Amino acid sequence: MPETKAIERRIVLANLDQPGYTPDIECYLKHGGYASLRKAAGMKPEEIVNEVKASQLRGRGGAGFACGVKWGFIRADEKKPIYLICNADESEPGTFKDRQIIDRDPHQLVEGMIISCFAVRAKLAYIYIRGEFAGGARILQKALDEARRNNFLGKNILGTDYSLEIYIHRGAGAYICGEETGLIESLEGKRAYPRIKPPYFPAVLGLYQCPTIVNNVETLCNAVHILRMGGAEYAKIGRPNNTGTRIVCVSGHVNKPGYYEIENGAWTLGQIVNDLAGGVRGGKKIKAIIPGGSSAKVLRMGEVIKLRQKQPDGSMAEKEMGILDIPYDFDNLQAAGTMSGSGAIIVMDETTDMVKAMNNINAFYAHESCGQCTPCREGSLWLQKITDRIVRGGGRASDPGLLINVADNIAGRTICAMGEATAWPVQSFVAKFRDEFEKACEKK
Amino acid sequence: MPTFTINGRKIDAQPGDTIWNAARLQGIQIPYLCASANLKPYGSCRLCLCEVDGQRGYPASCTTPVRDGMVVRTESPKLNQLRRNVIELYLSEQPEDVLHASEQLRTYAAQFGLQKVRYRRSGTSGHHLNGNGHRHNGHSHGKTDQIARRDYKVDDSNPFFIFDANKCIACARCVRACDEVQGTFAISMSGRGFASSVTAGNDVGFAASNCVSCGACVKECPTDALVEKAVVQHGKPEYTTRTTCAYCGVGCNFDVGVRGGRIVSMKPVDASPVNWGHACVKGRFGWDYVYSKERLRKPMKRVGDQWVECSWDDALAMIGSEFNRIKKSHGPDALAALSSSRGTNEENYLMQKLMRCAVGTNNVDNCARVCHSATVSGMMEVFGTWAATNSLNDLEKTKLLMVIGANPTEGHPVTGARIKRALRRGTKLIVIDPRRIELCRYAEVHLQLKPGTNVALFNGLANVIVSEGLHDKKFIEARTENFDTWLEVVKKYTPEAVEKITGVPAEKIRKAARLYATSGASMCAHGLGMTEHKYGSYGVMTLCNLAILTGSVGRPGTGVNPLRGQNNVQGSCDVGSVPVYFTAYQKLSDPLVQAKFNDATGRPLPERLGWKVPEMWDAALEGKLRGMWVMGYDVAQTDPNLLKVQAALGKLEFLAVTDLFFNETCKYAHLVLPAASFVEKDGTFTNGERRIQRCRKVIEPQDGIIPDDVQMIRVSEMLGYTMNCTTSSDIMDEIARLTPTLAGVSYEKLDRGFGLQWPVLNMAHPGTSVMHTEVFPRGKAKFAPAEYLPPGEEPTGKYPFTLVTGRVLHHYNCGAQTRHSGLIEFVNRDILEIHADDAVEHGIADGDMVKVTSHRASVELPCAISERVPPGQLFTTFHFPDNNLNTLLSSSADTLSKCPEYKVCTVHVEKIVKKSGKRNARSHFPTRKRDVHARILV
Repeated sequence: MPETKAIERRIVLANLDQPGYTPDIECYLKHGGYASLRKAAGMKPEEIVNEVKASQLRGRGGAGFACGVKWGFIRADEKKPIYLICNADESEPGTFKDRQIIDRDPHQLVEGMIISCFAVRAKLAYIYIRGEFAGGARILQKALDEARRNNFLGKNILGTDYSLEIYIHRGAGAYICGEETGLIESLEGKRAYPRIKPPYFPAVLGLYQCPTIVNNVETLCNAVHILRMGGAEYAKIGRPNNTGTRIVCVSGHVNKPGYYEIENGAWTLGQIVNDLAGGVRGGKKIKAIIPGGSSAKVLRMGEVIKLRQKQPDGSMAEKEMGILDIPYDFDNLQAAGTMSGSGAIIVMDETTDMVKAMNNINAFYAHESCGQCTPCREGSLWLQKITDRIVRGGGRASDPGLLINVADNIAGRTICAMGEATAWPVQSFVAKFRDEFEKACEKK
Repeated sequence: MPTFTINGRKIDAQPGDTIWNAARLQGIQIPYLCASANLKPYGSCRLCLCEVDGQRGYPASCTTPVRDGMVVRTESPKLNQLRRNVIELYLSEQPEDVLHASEQLRTYAAQFGLQKVRYRRSGTSGHHLNGNGHRHNGHSHGKTDQIARRDYKVDDSNPFFIFDANKCIACARCVRACDEVQGTFAISMSGRGFASSVTAGNDVGFAASNCVSCGACVKECPTDALVEKAVVQHGKPEYTTRTTCAYCGVGCNFDVGVRGGRIVSMKPVDASPVNWGHACVKGRFGWDYVYSKERLRKPMKRVGDQWVECSWDDALAMIGSEFNRIKKSHGPDALAALSSSRGTNEENYLMQKLMRCAVGTNNVDNCARVCHSATVSGMMEVFGTWAATNSLNDLEKTKLLMVIGANPTEGHPVTGARIKRALRRGTKLIVIDPRRIELCRYAEVHLQLKPGTNVALFNGLANVIVSEGLHDKKFIEARTENFDTWLEVVKKYTPEAVEKITGVPAEKIRKAARLYATSGASMCAHGLGMTEHKYGSYGVMTLCNLAILTGSVGRPGTGVNPLRGQNNVQGSCDVGSVPVYFTAYQKLSDPLVQAKFNDATGRPLPERLGWKVPEMWDAALEGKLRGMWVMGYDVAQTDPNLLKVQAALGKLEFLAVTDLFFNETCKYAHLVLPAASFVEKDGTFTNGERRIQRCRKVIEPQDGIIPDDVQMIRVSEMLGYTMNCTTSSDIMDEIARLTPTLAGVSYEKLDRGFGLQWPVLNMAHPGTSVMHTEVFPRGKAKFAPAEYLPPGEEPTGKYPFTLVTGRVLHHYNCGAQTRHSGLIEFVNRDILEIHADDAVEHGIADGDMVKVTSHRASVELPCAISERVPPGQLFTTFHFPDNNLNTLLSSSADTLSKCPEYKVCTVHVEKIVKKSGKRNARSHFPTRKRDVHARILV
């Protein structure tokens, strides 16, 4: 691991913080915008898919699914309409990256979407944007209008025989709409109940029972850069299987909370927190870090992580390290028993009451459970009820065990991944801070 | 067919089936709450979790498709623990009084070994959920549960069931049933997470929502959150008896639940090939008239102006002596009887046997005369049959449905729901109706013709099909005759010419014709809008012409299918309770029939053809008809030109009426006898798809009521003729012996499954679902040319409106049953529907009382502005006797069948202005919105 100070590598965020950079199309064009689309217009759709496959781009929404593989699910001889949906329902607690792109560099997203739609032969695409992003929706609408006026969108794009329409659909304030099948149901005008699996992938049966690609905002933006530099070149950024850059959102008790674009795997969690985010406020010690949005399992300062890493020669080796030494990318955080998720790093210092923090997270999931399946609907509320009573001094000695029990009964037992999102924080908080929970339960 | 192993047992599954359903069909029980064989997989309760070799976690068996060779376990200590935890979560929020927690949850709790709920809610006040599923903020600072808990008000607004959200487990089976089965989308899940709850309409409660009270939600509810009020009041059924509904001609099968000798529920039968587990408000809940206090319980005779109770012996003897007296002095043809198409086949057969053998006259008719008699005469002409060519199950196979003069979502709601399901699967729809009925919303094209112009419209459709070469030349060549003669007539009916007559734009006629001719499988379903016209029979012929023109008959998913109004319209005529035919329309003049009849009954068939219902009134007024027995047919409310009917009844020397209630006809009677209701007797009904089905005695007749069949057998005895059949099964055997198309029918066979669809030619014959596959009864089908002739009345300056009558969902015909049921809470009076433009022109506001006047009479009705009627038309119902609505109508009837022209009557309308001031009599109109809502907001 390099001992140098962590630095950003801005690709997606390259322009938006530049002084004088504006979200209009003139500014975007001045900065080389839509060049990738022009390039794409001269390519065949499958060539673009191959470039994306070569780039090894993984989804930036949370699950890290290989984007090229997802696109590859669309059959070449597909007769049904194909849809593409940009998932802009950014609502994982701690995450605030997509909105930067939407608000300040909307054309990058629009260009990425058009390229992606062309690659998967979608003629109609939607941006499903979080309801609270009212301003963002307006900005995007303006960007779409501008793109249409410039023949980047609409009929016969850039003189080709390819036509595309993109519509914006605003959500109504539900976390579950970020789950891609819940999102699709919502887009269809229904209650956002996630769909039962199988079918496992919307790419097989999605919107209106047609093949549908759902990608995150940041993922789609990367398509612009993959086309610009070529898939193979893009794959050189980051590490194998963890290519490209990643926007991380650092929040909590740090001196410089904010978004930072880093090369995947180039820096450790500690380097990000200390070098980029300026370390912990008031020189306090770190107590815990949630490395990938509130549903990721928490890491406790001082715990020893046994990290199985792939060695340059391809063999696997286990290495013990502290949490700050974990290189930040998809595979290493997964190997550490948690996940990079949506890239939201939440830092908690030594003054943090972990039970209260847990209660806060539980309140969120209880509020956001869609209510479709029982373990999550009833369980999420009971998790909150239990931590709530502990916080209020009504805890029972059996409560920590009960929390684990309820959570175990949710994870893996529900229709969508929100079950895991609800259970993982509880399972990890109670397991790693059991002493604090037990002490809190004694308090009357 | 995939084969898989479940708990060590190898079983087969249908391709695409789920583990849960495949197991269920093999009798393997997997615990569940949210799954239902009637609904799409959902997977929310997580009780049916299973273990699959090679698969991570515990997938829900109700959503996991079977894969060939998969190995599944549905029982293990781990699975039991998971299930226990789910039930524990449910119980933590159920009402604390354990007796009130759902029975199913308590059963599962015991099954999974749940001893104690670890997270019982505490009694301190916390944040309650109100009825909207939103959280109140309580401001308590107690140390325990401060978070939301369920505390809902019970919704008891529906007359028949309650919804207790506190018992709800949010499995959404009710919502899914409303969506997937009924297609009304009246209820939905609202709120989210823990606050998820079922909401009716726009959170207005069940009664005020667009709920049609079909009961599908109640049937699906696994926790009794939705439960019948009768069950709450009387308890759950101890046993059930299977029977057939006695409302409309769909003929739904029900299991009647009985507790302590009392009926407490009627549940539709899942396996029924007629209703497939679905029901409508009338069949599901409207049986409570059986226990109405107003039911006739003792015979009564008129003494002066008084009604005096008399014994059954006296009553029956009185019919015997009066009939004997009139027969002796005026001959047998001075007597007549009317039986009921609401009665059983056996009762109808007995009535004609009584008249033909004991009295010696053919003067017997039934209420089918006034609804589908024109269907019979029309179909006879073209096909040589008198019944639906296809089956209800053909709705699954048809590609295009044409609904003509019928409003299935109200008149035949179970078929209506089934049509809507077919439409959601992609079946196309043409609606031909003067009114904008609910189905119009889903139609490709709605031909909104002027009432009484059917013949012109169908000729026009045929014209387009022929002129565009879309007709089935092969079929016409092989299986029809008279094409060329017919063509000469049809040629004149160009779409433009037809537009002038019908008011339907020519382009729409073309569109509908093309759709009908080219779908591949086009099916027609028609109702009384087809038949109740002056040229109703000709209308039916022109419809049948279309079917043979395009080869849309004799194949699955095609045909001409009358939607029968009453439960036994088909059967009452099939068994010969008609004045001009014997059973199955065998000609009375046929020597073979005469011989057969004589052999079986020991009496000759009377020679003179009998009178049809309208002819009976003429005969009575002329003094030729002097005595009548009317059974289950309220002629004084339902026949047209009521003043004439009432005058005719008043002239009779003797009138006996057998009915459930003291109806309008009773007012003219000399003797009134109680009848047994459909749950108090054995018999059969024949539904609109020719299916003969058992009606079974569930409870004994109340208060010693002598059932109708016994009444007739005893009267026959007094007239000197002993009926040689006493049980209903014997009667059916006799019918079978005398009727070729019913030759293979017996109770033993009927009881084996869900009845038999005639023709059933012999004991080995399985019945017939699609008729005319090879030949028509008349050999080749005959194109029947028919010219358009105007209806009996056309709008004039004095009577500018055309009044159309029909029915609403919650009532049935004259309302004899439904007015004595909780159904009255939905609709308690007839209302006149008027288009907004006409209302404005006549200064009428919603809710005003208006006077409707025809050439014959005037009636007063409250008025509602409705989108369902076009300008120049009015619509109302005749469910309520107090309006005497049918006094407006003329005696005009179908020229062939004498089916009255109910659908066309010209009137004028004026607002009733109170004499005392300028304000109109608005106060008469109930402010309850339900009456209006029930018809306008369908």
